[in-house]
Amino acid sequence: MKKCIACGMPMTSRSEFAMGDTSKDYCRHCMRPDGSMQSFAEKLTSMTEFIVRTQGLDASVAERSAKAMLRELPAWEHYFDHGS
Amino acid sequence: MNKVSGKRQLQKTATREHILNTALAVYAEHGFSASTNVIAQEARLAHGTVFVHFPTREDMLQRTLERFASELGDKLHELSETEDDLKNFLYTHIDILTKYEHLYKNIITELSSLPPAATTSLIAVQSIASHHFGNVIANCAGRYAVKPIPLHMLFNIWMALLHYYLLNSELFAPGRSVLNSRRDELVNSYMELIRN
Ligand SMILES: [Zn+2]
Repeated sequence: MKKCIACGMPMTSRSEFAMGDTSKDYCRHCMRPDGSMQSFAEKLTSMTEFIVRTQGLDASVAERSAKAMLRELPAWEHYFDHGS
Repeated sequence: MNKVSGKRQLQKTATREHILNTALAVYAEHGFSASTNVIAQEARLAHGTVFVHFPTREDMLQRTLERFASELGDKLHELSETEDDLKNFLYTHIDILTKYEHLYKNIITELSSLPPAATTSLIAVQSIASHHFGNVIANCAGRYAVKPIPLHMLFNIWMALLHYYLLNSELFAPGRSVLNSRRDELVNSYMELIRN
């Protein structure tokens, strides 16, 4: 099973891939309106909002957690290369 | 990959799997203070073998939490595509938590003393569960209406209920699985509360 490189979501059906294109490595939630993949800053914002919307956590806790989650994903590894 | 190294790779994967399953059982029974030594003993492996796969206690802990998180995430993800009755979704959620009941109870009671990565894993798994929860509520729209309460509160109220029973399991179901013995009551009462 393919997992989105930008958010980790399993992509099981065609509709979950960006633009319904199963050759893409990222999902429809990590896609910009033009089909390209979101930037790190965009993903960090959307992931933070996702945590707040689903659990109501404090925004700073949500952002810290979102950063820690992105760190584990192939698309963003290089943002953390220098141990920040 | 040649035949020999392919076989070796398979063995390696099987050993890793065996260690992870043993760790899950040990953490469930003894809590997260259990050392990798104890896990090695239970797995009937040399401590060095365990060390090769999981160099630190944190690493072992993190991989076991990920195992739990991905099983929960994958099952709920599957359901959220097709399920149009929140009740069935809640039963599935309870059943997966029942499978990991001791482990999960230890996670929520010991969280503040675990490495920060454990909190991140828990936050990730709860957000995923809540997101699918929201999808299923949307799928239900044709069958019944749910009270106009924000998603995070609908989800938190459900989790608060489960956690209260888990934390007081000895009062509700001494020596048994509290989630399993109370599942009908928990699911039905929650459904009554949120339906409009
Ligand atoms: Zn994605």
